[in-house]
Amino acid sequence: MVVIADDSRRRRHGGRPDAWYNFTMHADALTALGNLFGDRLRTSLETRICYSFDATGKQFLPDAVVYPVNAEEVRRTVLLANLHRFPVVPRGAGTGFSGGSLPVHGGVVLSTERMDRIVSIDTENLYAIVEPGVVTETLKLEARKLGLFYPPDPASLKFSTLGGNIAECAGGMCAVKYGVTRDYVLGLEAVLGTGELLRTGVATAKGVVGYDLTRMLVGSEGTLGIVTRATLRLLPHPETAVTLLAFFAGNRDASDAVNAVVAARVTPSAMEIMDRTAIDCVQAVAPVPMPGGTGCALLLEVDGTSDSTAREAGRVEEACRAHGALEVRRASDERGRDELWKLRRSISPALRRVAPVKLNEDIVVPRSRLADMFDFLSGLSDRSKVRIVNFGHAGDGNIHVNIMISGTDADETRRAEEAVGEVFRKTVEMGGTISGEHGVGISKAPFLEMEVGPLGVAVMKRLKECFDPNGILNPGKIFLDEAAVRG
Amino acid sequence: MRDADLKALTGLCGKCGTCRTVCTLYPERKAEIAVARGKIALIDAAMSGEDGDAEGVQDALTDCLLCGRCERACPNQVLFEEIMMKGRADLAEEVGIPAWKRVLFGKVMPSPAAMGIARKAAAAGQRLLPGKIPTASGLHYRFPEGLGGEGRTVPKLPAKGFIESLGKGEAATGEVMLFVGCVFDHVFPEVGRAAYETVKASGKSVAVFRDAACCGLPAMVSGDRRSATECAEANVRRLRDVEPGGIVFPCGSCLLMFKRNVFSLIPKGAPMYDAAVFVANRAVDYASFILTSGVLDGLPEPPEGERVGEIGYHDPCHLSGTLGKGPEAREVLSRAVGPAFAEMAGADLCCGYGGTFNVRDYPTSARIGENKVTTAARGGTKVISTACSGCVLQMRDMVARTDPSLRVVHIAELVHQALFRKE
Repeated sequence: MVVIADDSRRRRHGGRPDAWYNFTMHADALTALGNLFGDRLRTSLETRICYSFDATGKQFLPDAVVYPVNAEEVRRTVLLANLHRFPVVPRGAGTGFSGGSLPVHGGVVLSTERMDRIVSIDTENLYAIVEPGVVTETLKLEARKLGLFYPPDPASLKFSTLGGNIAECAGGMCAVKYGVTRDYVLGLEAVLGTGELLRTGVATAKGVVGYDLTRMLVGSEGTLGIVTRATLRLLPHPETAVTLLAFFAGNRDASDAVNAVVAARVTPSAMEIMDRTAIDCVQAVAPVPMPGGTGCALLLEVDGTSDSTAREAGRVEEACRAHGALEVRRASDERGRDELWKLRRSISPALRRVAPVKLNEDIVVPRSRLADMFDFLSGLSDRSKVRIVNFGHAGDGNIHVNIMISGTDADETRRAEEAVGEVFRKTVEMGGTISGEHGVGISKAPFLEMEVGPLGVAVMKRLKECFDPNGILNPGKIFLDEAAVRG
Repeated sequence: MRDADLKALTGLCGKCGTCRTVCTLYPERKAEIAVARGKIALIDAAMSGEDGDAEGVQDALTDCLLCGRCERACPNQVLFEEIMMKGRADLAEEVGIPAWKRVLFGKVMPSPAAMGIARKAAAAGQRLLPGKIPTASGLHYRFPEGLGGEGRTVPKLPAKGFIESLGKGEAATGEVMLFVGCVFDHVFPEVGRAAYETVKASGKSVAVFRDAACCGLPAMVSGDRRSATECAEANVRRLRDVEPGGIVFPCGSCLLMFKRNVFSLIPKGAPMYDAAVFVANRAVDYASFILTSGVLDGLPEPPEGERVGEIGYHDPCHLSGTLGKGPEAREVLSRAVGPAFAEMAGADLCCGYGGTFNVRDYPTSARIGENKVTTAARGGTKVISTACSGCVLQMRDMVARTDPSLRVVHIAELVHQALFRKE
């Protein structure tokens, strides 16, 4: 049998084709894929390199890339994978932060880019049926044209795909009011690791027949099934929104204000917090005018009817002022709102200017512990001598902890990695979770057991066995796999 | 390929995927290899030796329109066009440049005389082409099948170029220099003529830059850095010598070359750097010159009439996007043609030309281009005006293929009409 895969190359990228899975692409496997996909099978080194990365910056080279256009082609790919024993790694837009779409054991990257149709939008029953490759924003815009609303809004919504959002259970800013991707998935069609095509869930508001396999698949990071179609819940689009930007002297005041807003029985549709580290970052690149002594900022948005938003914005402003806000700005027209959003939106682009490599974590703590966590992070940054920039979704206690490093200083990298471990331990100790919306992938795999415990891991592995007995789907993810973590 | 500068540029790419949303080519390819972050990964792989197949990488890099949308959208401000030019140039050193390009860029384009001879030869050859399509903006020939893609048409080449048509000593010296550009000299001399006469209407004395070499952009995007530098240096030297007060460019791509790309070929520290800065500081787009020199002042109100909203403006990627000169052209149009001008549907869609991309993959270039002109036509536009030679070439071909009743013009032609309207 002729071995096609260039193992030496893959090994250089950190993959480990010779152990655990022992998968290697054979000539007959590629021939069979070629028969199935024609020129939609690509094996050139150039195309493989283009599917070797995601937003983590890590790279693993696949053996081949296929572009299916329907569920049948996905199903037959997985059947071939079972026959020839090669990994299949589903990939949407490759924009994840945890390595979910990286082919850490080589094999075939199955790109959903060409399954990108919105099949239908039901305006009476308020749901959409979509293929996995639809870009999140495309659905949001199409729904909007019909007066409907698909709420999930991960920061990557302009380019990430719904299939990837479902696989990672993407969150976003409006989660505080509207929840995350899982709250909008009514039903799925997915190809399991066995090559069987499973249909789960409902197209109705309720449904409790049997185990909730839909939720089982949401957030499973492509390790249990490959979503080929999804039924997504829509809402009527809110009429209007009001945005508020409040400046505080410190994290304590701001966190108190967050709790006060909730206590005032307002559920904002966004509640973003930026601490001093994030504000400094933006001010160095594209300064936003703000009162002297600002050490923390909150961006809040309320949506609904014009009556309700005016009333709620008033209560939000009151809560902020009651907790020492130095200044509160408010806007209800689009231009003014954009202006207020500028500070928050400038953070990510500005981060690049701080240091070339960011370890981007997305911990969640109980909302009441926000200030404690910020204090901890500030101390940690001093102790470990690495710059840490914090901002996040205060409403759900979700903090994006960005540890900024050069990537060329081995000692700094070690200190940063140790800091990540400390952040995770503290998070779990506070009763939080180590990933709010990015998923485990390879980057959090070493910490899985720390949060869910040995039995949790064992049950997950049993479930994996049941959906994907031959370990075809996205091997090396979620569960600890040294080769994958090394990258 | 080893290039520390290049590495510093590609290192800024965070692989976030923003480029996927704006790429002109992505909807055609639906593959990561089409977009900026994929190509950057390939350049990195070529630099590290991970991908030793220079030809394969070069081929992937060539599949790009260089429309610059990714660069403008990039949250990390990655200089993608610069990366592509450098990458293509470095790879060209390894795999070489096709013979026809070598002759064209190295021998023909730097020499005004050789370009004239080439046009005459091509014009003579054209008469043998069988299919003729009369379009609203001039006669087009059907290109023979098998020689450059399905359904391509080419404009009838003139017997005389614009510069050739000038009298001896005419427009030889002046305070303002007009850089006509190859296409508006040799292919569409009527545009060169319209630009010349309207610039002259400013009352300033105008010199036409006669011994212009090609601006060098075609060579540069093909990775032929040597020919591109040769062109750039020749132009900068000759322009610096005559010390013009301003240099007007009817073509946005030529302007980009002198405003920005030239500094990649003649960087800080190079002997000609100061001369290049001198030229760049005086280089101005046609529309800006027309506005600031008062050409349109005192023009009678354009006639109202049945043509309200029929004239649109197509944004050339380099001129409106990279150089930010979209508003100026629109201002010129509203003053020259009044209510006949209206914002065009899909005004900022790329025309799909991409210079050598159009030669490399005509079918794709034509799909993007046909979508461009049909989108405009569906929105009610009957005359598409623009200010870049590549866009005029491409869109005239596209309307010849789809709807020959649509006109494609340079804004100078409309300004000319307005200034010299027969009462």
